[in-house]
Amino acid sequence: MSAVSQPDVIRYDQTIERAIEDIICLLKREYNISKRSIAVLLLQGDDEIKDMISRREGGDWRRISDIISETQKAYDEPLSYIMAMERQKLAWAITDDVVDSGNGSKSKTFAEHLSRLTMSPITGIPILLVVLYFGLYQFVGVFGAGVMVDFIEGTIFEQYINPWINGLLTQYIPWPALRDLIGMDYGIITLGLRYAVAIILPIVGTFFFMFSIIEDSGYLPRIAMLLDRIFKKIGLNGRAVIPMTLGFGCDTMATVVTRTLETKRERVIATLLLALAIPCSAQLGVVLGLLSGDTAAMVTWIVVVIGTLLLIGFLAAKIIPGQGPAFFMEVPPLRWPSLSNVWMKTYTRMQWYFVEVMPLFILASVIIWFGNLTGLFGLIISWLEPLMRALGLPGEAAEAFLFGFFRRDYGAGGLYDLQKAGLLSSRQLAVSASTLTLFVPCIAQFSVMWKERGAKTTLGIVAFIIPFAFAVGYVLNKILILLGVS
Amino acid sequence: MAKKANDKSCHTSGNEHIEGLPKIALVGTPNVGKSVIFNRLTGKYVTVSNYPGTTVEISKGKGRIGDCEFEIIDTPGMYSLMPITEEERIARRLLLEERPDVVLHIVDAKNIKRMLPFTLQLIEAGLPVILVLNVMDEAERLGIKIDAYKLRQKLGIPVVVTSAALNRGIKELKQEVADYVGSIAA
Repeated sequence: MSAVSQPDVIRYDQTIERAIEDIICLLKREYNISKRSIAVLLLQGDDEIKDMISRREGGDWRRISDIISETQKAYDEPLSYIMAMERQKLAWAITDDVVDSGNGSKSKTFAEHLSRLTMSPITGIPILLVVLYFGLYQFVGVFGAGVMVDFIEGTIFEQYINPWINGLLTQYIPWPALRDLIGMDYGIITLGLRYAVAIILPIVGTFFFMFSIIEDSGYLPRIAMLLDRIFKKIGLNGRAVIPMTLGFGCDTMATVVTRTLETKRERVIATLLLALAIPCSAQLGVVLGLLSGDTAAMVTWIVVVIGTLLLIGFLAAKIIPGQGPAFFMEVPPLRWPSLSNVWMKTYTRMQWYFVEVMPLFILASVIIWFGNLTGLFGLIISWLEPLMRALGLPGEAAEAFLFGFFRRDYGAGGLYDLQKAGLLSSRQLAVSASTLTLFVPCIAQFSVMWKERGAKTTLGIVAFIIPFAFAVGYVLNKILILLGVS
Repeated sequence: MAKKANDKSCHTSGNEHIEGLPKIALVGTPNVGKSVIFNRLTGKYVTVSNYPGTTVEISKGKGRIGDCEFEIIDTPGMYSLMPITEEERIARRLLLEERPDVVLHIVDAKNIKRMLPFTLQLIEAGLPVILVLNVMDEAERLGIKIDAYKLRQKLGIPVVVTSAALNRGIKELKQEVADYVGSIAA
């Protein structure tokens, strides 16, 4: 190693240095970091260190605490700010000496131009819309949820696997209850596995692939900068872009990712909004399919869902106490996504999905089987029917809503069948799609919410969402009737 | 937390356990290539993310430098020694409780100005820091030059220059870690 003369270390001003010395004298125990560092952290108001020191130093803590508040009195700004500035000044002094940042007049690269365009609102919003249109609508919606699902579900399952399984079952298994558990309409293979492989695999796979490209290119933090203002209005900040966009792929995974948000308040708001107003890719695929023939219903649905997202976010930000934290984020340079990174990210997310979420879907088809077998579902459906009629929907929609809890897209899938049977008018389509999108998270998301946010918050959120979703449906139905929509 | 004797020796190969090996902790803000360096040192895959704040879980791995084995700990993103987010709190707790033999502070060379205050805090804390100026290739492309030798003298700690994604400077980094651990043991 090179001969080290006098390294540059941080020296704060006299008052603070004296306080540091006084505190060091009072620290009697051994710690894993220097006593000077502990004194510095204490002066900056570090709660965790405070707890540790007050516990371990006992009686002397009082005196330390006095030194801290005395020192703070000498300044208008918080000590944490003053000391951070002091460190920054030293850092600048050092870097001025060792860093040559070029002459600055270098011509900007294409990536830098593009980077600026993505973050300025006038050009950034159209770019975002183009990315969403091609990435989400065309690739995930049309290709993943359309072409691929049609092939895997329509051809492979419905023409080959299902008839084969059901044939085997009818031939070899004499007990209808067991047949229904494995195959038939809602069995583990014909429903659970079919949904996982035929719908989840293509939709979630294409979504995660697209998301990984956007993530690896460095575009996500730019979306965050662009949308920071809007997000602030709903009690979040740009940082929340990642869980919120991920929610369009899988709300369950997005709920886990809300961990990256800074405050508990933000995490609760994000969890609520994910459960309420962000449809996951599976649901989105089916809803888009359901509404694709009816532009008016589609527009109504989009307006209702986005309106709800903004309104509830805004209200939640007002009601839930606490302040929105300032937004600070490194914006990495734009670059070509590396294929191996994209592949690894897609792969690890898919793996997570299958390991963590798949079993819950299998479980869901077992519960549906059990519910049908015992007549419990029939009972619940009969309770829901009057509610459906209050929303102006046919009673049959009750089944779709009940199944919606087990899988968001089961519900939408149920509506799809009704529409094909010609049982839903344009108004009913808009009302049922909106209500179903807002209505409860799926069982997997529910269990993750429970794990991440705790029972109280989760039950609170669900107790709000269910009546709220139906109220929105009710009001929407009345408004559409007033407007003369049939 | 009694101070335990520094009895970790370098030559514990053959020992399949990770405990008792000298520890290397990686710290730094998100998106500076921490995970890539972790992978280079361990050879084990962890999700590499380009988005700030995605390294939520802590990855630990075993790596070999020369004939020494090390336990390598990847901490969640950290902006300063004073934690704000839950992840930062976890990162600091790791730093304090794991008592690493070497702390690699990994920074994005382009943003050294903003990241150096954290290095200063780590030095102030008396932690065994090596400063790693990563993503040097991008810095060079922007015309930024850093005198690593001078920086080393000014800070009084080892400074290594790397472009981990391109596998540049990793050998030098390993050498520096080996020297550092050797100099403590001696």
